[in-house]
Formats: sequence, C-alpha cells, structure tokens
Amino acid sequence: MRPIYFKYLTFTALFLLLHFGTVFADSEVLPDTENCLYCHRYPSMGRYDESGVKRIFYVNDEKFARSVHGKLKCKSCHAGVDKIPHTDVKKVDCTTKCHIREPSTDKEFSHINMVQKYETSVHGNGSKEKPKPFPEDLPTCKDCHENRIQSSVTGLWGKSEALSNETLARCIGCHTQKDWAQNFYLHFTHRMRRTRSQPEIIKLCTSCHEDSQKMARHGLESVSTFKDTFHWSLVKYGVKNAPDCISCHVPVGYTTHDIRSRTDPMSSIHTLNRIDTCSNQGGMQSCHPGATAEFATGRVHAYGTKAQLAAGMKVATFEDHENFRLLERAEVDISKDEIFHLKVLSLIQLFYKVFIPLVIGFMAYHQWLDWLKIIRTRKKRR
Amino acid sequence: MKDTAIAFQQEEETSETDSPTGKIYFVRLNYSEKVQHMIFMICFVTLVITGFMLKVPEGIVQKLGSAGEAVFLIRSLLHRIAGTVMILVSVYHVYYLIFKPAGRRWLFDMLPRFKDLNDLVGNCLYYFGVKKEPPEFDRFCYKHKMEYGALIAGTILMAATGLIMWTEYRWSKFIIDIATVVHGMEAILASLAIMIWHLYEIHLKPRKSPIDDAWITGVIDEEEMKEEYPLHYKKIMADPKLQEIYIKRETQ
Repeated sequence: MRPIYFKYLTFTALFLLLHFGTVFADSEVLPDTENCLYCHRYPSMGRYDESGVKRIFYVNDEKFARSVHGKLKCKSCHAGVDKIPHTDVKKVDCTTKCHIREPSTDKEFSHINMVQKYETSVHGNGSKEKPKPFPEDLPTCKDCHENRIQSSVTGLWGKSEALSNETLARCIGCHTQKDWAQNFYLHFTHRMRRTRSQPEIIKLCTSCHEDSQKMARHGLESVSTFKDTFHWSLVKYGVKNAPDCISCHVPVGYTTHDIRSRTDPMSSIHTLNRIDTCSNQGGMQSCHPGATAEFATGRVHAYGTKAQLAAGMKVATFEDHENFRLLERAEVDISKDEIFHLKVLSLIQLFYKVFIPLVIGFMAYHQWLDWLKIIRTRKKRR
Repeated sequence: MKDTAIAFQQEEETSETDSPTGKIYFVRLNYSEKVQHMIFMICFVTLVITGFMLKVPEGIVQKLGSAGEAVFLIRSLLHRIAGTVMILVSVYHVYYLIFKPAGRRWLFDMLPRFKDLNDLVGNCLYYFGVKKEPPEFDRFCYKHKMEYGALIAGTILMAATGLIMWTEYRWSKFIIDIATVVHGMEAILASLAIMIWHLYEIHLKPRKSPIDDAWITGVIDEEEMKEEYPLHYKKIMADPKLQEIYIKRETQ
C-alpha cells in the first residue's frame, strides 16, 4: 500500500506547489507576459563571459517595476532573445522604438533624438565623414545610465515624504487610477532632482577623464588637477550645491548629451558663455553672481601636463607616446598668456619652496643652538 | 663684565631701597599690547586651523559624513571672521604705533639698527663658544625685530591675498591664482615660523618651560630682565622717567 500512498502524496504536493506557483505569479508586481522571469527570477543566474567578467542575469521584478523602464517589456530593449539558450542576443540599442506611445506626438517612443544630439557632442562618434579616432574609448549610453529606480522629489522642505504624498493625493482626486497617477507623478518628479550626488558625478566623469593614457589618445590631459581647486574642497566636505563637473560643463540651459569642446561657441565654457556659467543666475544657487568678464575668462582647473609641455617645463620624447600626443594639441590649445601665467605661478612656488626651508632651517638651527647653550651653561653652574 | 656686575649690584641695592614693598617687575607688554596680542593670537590659531582644514585628505573628511557640510560652513565663516578681526587689530596697531606715546616708544625701539646685525653675529659666536658672553640686548633684540618684521610682511600679504580670494569675482583668474598660491605658501611659512621661532621662546626654552606667562601678566621679574635685556635694564635704572613707565612694584 505504501507506494500508492506515496504516489498520492507526491501528486498532491506537486499540485499544491503548482497552485501556489500560480498564486505567486498573480501577485507579481510585473505582468510577465513574456515569461522571462521563469528563469531570470533566480538570483544565482549568471555566468562568466569570455573575458572572465561576471555577468548577472537575475532580474528583481519588484525593483524593475519601480525603475524608469519599469513599464517596458523585456524584448522592447533586448532584441533577439527568441531562442533558448539566447545565442542570438543583440546589444541593447537605445535608438530602437520601444512600442510605447509618446503622448505628445502619439508616435512610438525612442531615444533617437538624444542619441543624434549626443553623437555630435564632444563624447559622440563624430560625423560619418570625420569619425573620431579610438571609438572604443568613447562612452555609450550605458556607461553613464543605469536603469534607475524612480524616486520623487524630496528635500525641498526637509527630507520628508509628506510633500509627495500631499501632491499625489491632489492628482488622484481627478486621475482616479491610482497606479497610473503614481507612475506619472514619479516619471515627472524623478526628473526634477539630481539623481547623482556631486562625488558620484565626479567619480563617473573621472572614471575616464583621470585615465591619462586614454585621455592622451584624444589630445586631452587627466582632470586630476580639479582636485587642486577650491571647488573640490567644497565637494570633499559634502557641501550642498558644491560645484562638480556638470555645474560648469552642463549648467542651466545645457544638456549632458550635448557637452561641447571649449572652443565651440555652443559650449558653456566657451569664453562667450563663461559669465553666465560662472554666475549661474538661473540655477538653484547663483555661484559668482557679480562675475566680471576678466574673472570668467581664466582657467578653472589647475595647470596640468598640457600647459607644462607647452611652456617647455616638461619634455615629450618619441618614446613617451602619451606626452607626445598631448604636445601636438598643447601647441594649439594653450595660449601664450596661459604659458606666461603658468611660468609666473611656478616661479612663485619655486621661490617659496626654496625660501621656506631656508628660513625655517635657520630658525630651527638658531633655536637648537640656543637650547644647547642654555643646557650647557646650566651644567657648568651645577 | 665685573664693572657691570658691580653696577648691577649697586642698582639692585638702590632699587631695593626704592621699593619698600620688595619685589619689582618690568613691563614687557602694557594692557593694550596684551589685549592686541591676545586677539591676534586667537585669530591666528583660528585661521591656521580653519585654513588648513581645506588641505585635509578626502579619506579623513569623509568620516565627517553628513556633518561635513556644517563643518565646512562653520569653517568658512570662522576663517572670514578671524581674518577680519586680525585685519582690524592690525589697523588698530598701526594707529597705536602712530598716535599713542607707548606705541611710538614701541615703534622706536622696534626699528632695526646696525647693532642688531652685530648682536646676531655676536650671539651666534656666543652659541659657538667663540665669545664668552652674549651681547647685551635692549628692549627688543634681533629675534623680536625679525619676528615683528615677518609678522608685518606676513599679515599684509595674507590680508591682501585673502581679500582678493574673498572678492574673487572682481579679479582675473590669474590674480586669484597668484593670491591662492601666495596665501597657501605664506600660511605654511607663518605656521612653521610661529611653531619653531615663537613657541620655542615661550614653551620650550628651558627656563621658560612649560610656559612664559608674560603674555598674560605683561611683566617679567628683575632677574629675568637683567639676564635677557641687560641694556634696557640699565637704561631704565638710569632714567627715572623710564622707571615710571616700565617698573611695576608688587602691591601687598
């Protein structure tokens, strides 16, 4: 009899398990119509790719639902995942249409506008006629963007959620679909705040811009000289509204997707736009409200390798590829005035570097002699 | 030297007979000078601490966490307040030097003379054991004069460059850069100089250790006066007018 009981028990257990499975499936936050979570809900799902990098394919459906892309289907971005295992996966392309209707035009939404703008910016690939060298160095969408969790604006009056709740309650008064209203509210207010703190922005930008070899390939120098400025001291202490990279390179009225070279009149740091950038009148905080043209035309980062090469304070050799490439650009980028400024500043520094040890050395020696003399005379007296 | 020793003895005797209460003290700093020194010292220490806070490495600053912003804002405010007060005290000091009799005496005694150079060489020879006796110092010796000169130059430079950085938007970036470099380097120089030159004199010097209290009391006793400033001592003892100014009798 035992085997029969066992069969019944197993069947019942399996039935219950399946039943619970459907119950759980119903309660899932995300309507998984593509059935991707069938596999991707397991946290241990992942592998090491050919280059040895650990890839995690787990999807936390609750978190995904709250993310900026939470309303999208998986295949809207991940094209070509029809086969199992997914041998035909294509890289995510943000310019594809993602089957969501953009309400203002009622057309299918895509990030193509942004990408087109971005390609003409300093970070883009350049034009087809004039592509940029070393395209593998250039950042793509995913280098800066993650699928962030939407969060509403808080902190206007403290860090309380009360503001959001009260405003949202007003929306729901007319837009009775609570989920829709909440999602719309989040979509809107998520963009009213900075998603990254100043140190996070600096970390993001310097992940490339402090790589001096990578920068030299494009005729640029490491931006580590930013950390010699007063701006950095404010960031270091976590001062609210402290100036980070985007405060000057993407001030109010500019977009991160359209950062341009300082020689481009459309750049926020072009001489023509500097006064507005430094004074930042339209921003949350006007930084240097009375900025004069003279103030605003100077160099903000401390002088780096490029200026030193142009001034002949550093010599680039053929073997030294990094500096040699920089030297080519330095001759164009660094003006005669800047070379003069660097030389004067270096001279002052040199003066103090010699003067301080001399003076302090004399003082220490003199006082040491005085101390010795006093000790010796005391001994004699005894 | 024997003559001077006898002279000292005689003077001591006279001074003792002159002072029925016994001990006499010699004024090194009058009330105004003590207050000026006190304010200047507090400002200096505040400026050094709040200034060098900018140079603290990132790793240490991050330990402040969310308090960092408040710390920075208080730091900035204190630095500006201390800087302003220091400038005001310095301006008052100039006024004091010109318009007050005690100030004019200070200025006159502080003027560099050929004797100071002689004293410097003489004192060094004394340290090396070439000369048996140190030179006789007046009210201010070459050490004081050098420090006072450095203080004037340093204060002017720090105040000027500090004010430039405070009103940064009015200047060209080149001027601000120069001001920043000078302000930073001069700060290192001033802090080290105070630590080595000045603090030795009042804290480390064997007979002054652990602290010379003249900055609070304003006076030193007769023995110290004779040892440190013998020339000034003689001048005072020879001139009743100077005695009125510089001698304080112990009240019982």
